[in-house]
Amino acid sequence: MTSQAAQLRSEPGQIIIEIEGLSFSYEPDRPEAPNALNGVDLEVEAGTHLAILGRNGSGKSTLARLIDALELPLSGRIRVDGIEAVDDETSYMVRRRCGLVFQNPDNQIIGTTVEEDVAFGPENLGIPNPELRDRVDTALAIVGLSEYAQRPPAQLSGGMKQKLAIAGIMAMQPRVLILDEATSMLDPLSRRDFMELVQRLNREKGLTVLNITHNMEEAMVADSVVVMHEGKILLRGRPEQIFAHVAEIIDAGLDVPAHAAIAHLLSHEMNLPICPEKAASFTGAIATVTQLMRTAADREAASDALTVSTEPVATEVVASTKSAAGEIIIEVKDLSYTYNPHTPGATEALSEVNLEVRRGEVLGIMGHSGSGKSTLVQHLNGLIRPQSGSVRVLGFNTRLNKEIRELRRMVGLVFQYPEHQLFADSVFADIAYGPKRLGLSEAEVERRVYAAAEIVGFDPDILQRSPFELSGGQKRRAAMAGVIAMEPEVLILDEPAAGLDPAGREEILGYVRELTHKGRTIILVSHNMEDLARFSDRLLVMKDGRSLVLGTTDEVFSRADILAAAGLEKPRTAQFMEALAAEHPDWPLATNAYSVEAAVRLIRQAGAPKSAARQSAGDRLSAVENLWVER
Amino acid sequence: MNITLGNYYPADSILHRLDPRVKLLAALTVMIVIFFLNSPLSLLLFVLVLFVGIMASRVPFRLVLRSVRPVIFIASFAFLINIFMTPGTELWSLGPLTITHQGLLVGIKMVLRLFFLIMTTTLLMTLTTTPLAMADAIESLLRPLEKIRFPSHELAMMMSIALRFIPTLADETARIMKAQSSRGADFDTGGLIKRAKGLVTVLVPLFVSAFKRAAELAVAMESRCYRGGRGRTKLRELKLRPPDRWAAVILVLICAALLLIEYLVPLGWFGLV
Repeated sequence: MTSQAAQLRSEPGQIIIEIEGLSFSYEPDRPEAPNALNGVDLEVEAGTHLAILGRNGSGKSTLARLIDALELPLSGRIRVDGIEAVDDETSYMVRRRCGLVFQNPDNQIIGTTVEEDVAFGPENLGIPNPELRDRVDTALAIVGLSEYAQRPPAQLSGGMKQKLAIAGIMAMQPRVLILDEATSMLDPLSRRDFMELVQRLNREKGLTVLNITHNMEEAMVADSVVVMHEGKILLRGRPEQIFAHVAEIIDAGLDVPAHAAIAHLLSHEMNLPICPEKAASFTGAIATVTQLMRTAADREAASDALTVSTEPVATEVVASTKSAAGEIIIEVKDLSYTYNPHTPGATEALSEVNLEVRRGEVLGIMGHSGSGKSTLVQHLNGLIRPQSGSVRVLGFNTRLNKEIRELRRMVGLVFQYPEHQLFADSVFADIAYGPKRLGLSEAEVERRVYAAAEIVGFDPDILQRSPFELSGGQKRRAAMAGVIAMEPEVLILDEPAAGLDPAGREEILGYVRELTHKGRTIILVSHNMEDLARFSDRLLVMKDGRSLVLGTTDEVFSRADILAAAGLEKPRTAQFMEALAAEHPDWPLATNAYSVEAAVRLIRQAGAPKSAARQSAGDRLSAVENLWVER
Repeated sequence: MNITLGNYYPADSILHRLDPRVKLLAALTVMIVIFFLNSPLSLLLFVLVLFVGIMASRVPFRLVLRSVRPVIFIASFAFLINIFMTPGTELWSLGPLTITHQGLLVGIKMVLRLFFLIMTTTLLMTLTTTPLAMADAIESLLRPLEKIRFPSHELAMMMSIALRFIPTLADETARIMKAQSSRGADFDTGGLIKRAKGLVTVLVPLFVSAFKRAAELAVAMESRCYRGGRGRTKLRELKLRPPDRWAAVILVLICAALLLIEYLVPLGWFGLV
């Protein structure tokens, strides 16, 4: 498989990265500690776009740092463009040839203006003017930031900061561009934009791209994919080859693209074999699903048996009706808010937003960065007071100072990246901080800490450890528990799964799901359509501080015009269902599937009546059942 | 967040284009000169100089005036001490408190000098000069000291990184404070100890994150081939152009004129002293 992938670029290309038997440990003095990398062999041909997948701790970032000669191998060797880094001088030569874009945009910008930051690399290389000036201007033009040359980087959006990082690298004229989860902090629109830039550089400039990512859609557009697991290379091949190995991918804590997952689940449920490699591409998956349903229909007709095993419609497909039931506990009326009013830097964050939330419902708020989502939710627990309009939450008026403290006990807000707020010397003390501030008895504080720890799946022994020695996902859960322990009536979660690997996401979202089952009122802020669609009763779409639409999940996702206006996409599962429905206008196929399971259920429901039509007229029982299912 | 430090006001003016080294030395010179200004005439003339300077910078007056805000407390304190403590002709008295003619004058001059000092340095060094240009200027002016192993490049790099991260850390502080307020932390009310306890919940995460940022930034700099000042070039090389020389000459003349007026014009012209 390896050689196949390497031959994808048919140019008699040079091998630009050559890795043999590479091992590395962050603790070389402790031989019992597991190696971060363990015998990695990899060859990358110049001009390839290679995606590197793997969950946190699988060794991906370590590999990137070794390739860029920021660390030296424990054993084995790496050659970049024929150079092996062994000392300072050769390391420098390797770094000249590789550019590395890191995850956090803020922690890699050095210059106080955009152009000074781009100049930093070539200045280090000793490039004299006027060539230096020329390189800076060219690099800014390539990434489309020329008009921002004199701006301070703090004024750029996250997506622009990552493009600035690329410009800083391009000005060094490298041969290899390494992205270390560079898109994980970006919203979908910026992510798409950023990846288009990367692909353009790969195609037009022949730049070799190594993209370390958790995003399977990004992996799908690569020439070749490497899956890492526990410091080793688990799989390597073209994306279709990789995503054919569904079981291994899931075992490595990763995701497969929605279309492949649907095809595989369908095949599994119907007990029919499929060609995994075909199902790994989008069009292939549609063909696979079509074939599966035809085979099933034929088989059914042939055996003349009742094989309609479709379960009655489950809750996930039908929008929950509970939103209509509860009383209104949050009422936002004509809310507008401007940051830095009456100054040249005034920015309108909210404009005449109206919103009602009922007790017990799960409201999803979606929109891009800067759409006003965060400003809106900060109004709900009085962190921001209304400038015009009103916010009433659980009977409290957030304009009144004296009611704020009481309100904050009722409305819990889990910020984005909440692990950045941990401060205490034990997890217990950190979770207990909020309840203690409520003035509760010691016994009650303890009860709440244990209850919250249980909700986020912590063993009691974790509570005694320092929050700073936990893993990334555990830190996030500890921080969430700190808010959950205040037992608020309304819980607001801002991007709870941001920046985690697929397995970590699933885990966090599992706890969110558990909370929704407990009947709490939950407001979920995210730009991840899949997550929102799966959990929300209703959705609010925001753009430029305005509320574009508020309705049930189905209502919102059926408004293609509004989603397009907000720059959002339907969940991948729904996109697949639509493509499938377009392919088969004769199938009575509902397309409102927001999870793989729901998609498979809808496909099987749609497939069944078709087969019923083929069956003998005498088979009434089946037909009746199908009708029931169809409804 | 409103932080005056590094509050560059982008505009295209003579003052903006001036070599940052000239501006830095000018600010230092003017600072010294201000301490010698005592007569109403020279203080008045300085207002004129400042006025012309602000006009030439195209920075709104409001912004320059606002820069004295942080020292208003100190200024009022100094003013009060002076008007009550200076012996001399009595103007007004109430019990043990006596305001003297001399005290009032000394107080006013004191406040004026303090305000002039802040406004001049803000105008020359922060409003019209990017922090990085200022760091470059310091590096360039200190370069001769490299002969005695003074780390002028490292110093400048440290300053510019500090300046670059101030807005980032300010945002982060605001974010952490909001998060902790949501969990019931209180930074505005209660006694000193209670507030200090509230601050711990902000300072610990802030320090943890600052260290993390520092580590990541160091790797990012290394990855971009940073090896200290050796063999580095500069996108913006500091070169003294004729206008910079002229500006320096004009400034020296203005300072000399102010000092001359201060010492040669007979005291008490206006019968005020």
